[in-house]
Amino acid sequence: MSAHHALPLNTLLYTAGALLILTIITVAVTWLHIPEPFNVVVALGIATIKATLVALIFMNLYWDNKFNTVVFLSSIVFFLVFVLITLLDTLFRDVPFGIY
Amino acid sequence: MANSKQIAEKAPHVLHHFVDSDQQFESSKLGMWIFLVTEILFFGGLFVAYIVYRALHPELFIMAAEQLDTTMGAINTAVLIASSLTIAMAIRAAQLNQKRNLIILLSSTIALAFTFMVIKYFEYTHKFDLGIYPGSYYTFEGIDHELASVFFSIYYMMTALHGIHVVIGIVFIGILVYKASKDKFSPEYYTPVEITALYWHLVDIIWIFLFPLLYLID
Repeated sequence: MSAHHALPLNTLLYTAGALLILTIITVAVTWLHIPEPFNVVVALGIATIKATLVALIFMNLYWDNKFNTVVFLSSIVFFLVFVLITLLDTLFRDVPFGIY
Repeated sequence: MANSKQIAEKAPHVLHHFVDSDQQFESSKLGMWIFLVTEILFFGGLFVAYIVYRALHPELFIMAAEQLDTTMGAINTAVLIASSLTIAMAIRAAQLNQKRNLIILLSSTIALAFTFMVIKYFEYTHKFDLGIYPGSYYTFEGIDHELASVFFSIYYMMTALHGIHVVIGIVFIGILVYKASKDKFSPEYYTPVEITALYWHLVDIIWIFLFPLLYLID
């Protein structure tokens, strides 16, 4: 039964608190009007930190069988392959798209 | 025989093809993680559409995103984070055999999910009033860009698919409340709570990315 160790309540509350603070930060940085490519980098960076917190603590990956983490990360790897190969097509077309 | 003795010792919730409760629990969880991988790639197609169109028309996204209400999006982010907290606490209640807390926390999660959908409803109807519909039904003239409808087609597809997942989550958490009220869960067996929570957290993670990508483009 070692796998069924309940997390301390404070761990869950602090995680939710951190997620709320990061949400406020991600809204607040838009008021700074960071120039074009970097605003996306900052927004996605904060979103990635938030998603990591949810996955590690709420979804228990930190204490879990590491194979579940490997399965989860594999989906991100294949998503990035999907993005990369699609952009290699759409960004380098000689003839632009029709109506879209 | 030694085998039949072993089978007789297993807890009632353990199916015959598993060695013990832990193995059954771990198998269910791995199965859920593999399902979540397919979900990520399912949403991934829409994220790719978003990335391709934003790379082609960055100015369109800046102009069109002004029509989205950042405050409502931020409130919905907080609502989903709170619902992730309540369902994570529900697992803890199941592990500690607190039946009353389990039902209260699962019900709170459902209430927060409904709050999310109500806010979404107000956002959608406000846009419909302006004539901001998806695809060829788009009639709004406030955005000076010939492809303005493309942004909103992406917006509606992503948020509606996410909204469908929230509704499905409400149904499954509702089933958990029913089962908890019938005393189906115990510290030895709470697998449905665990895997439904995994699904719910993934829905939260998707929104964590949708919110800055759609609402926070300035």
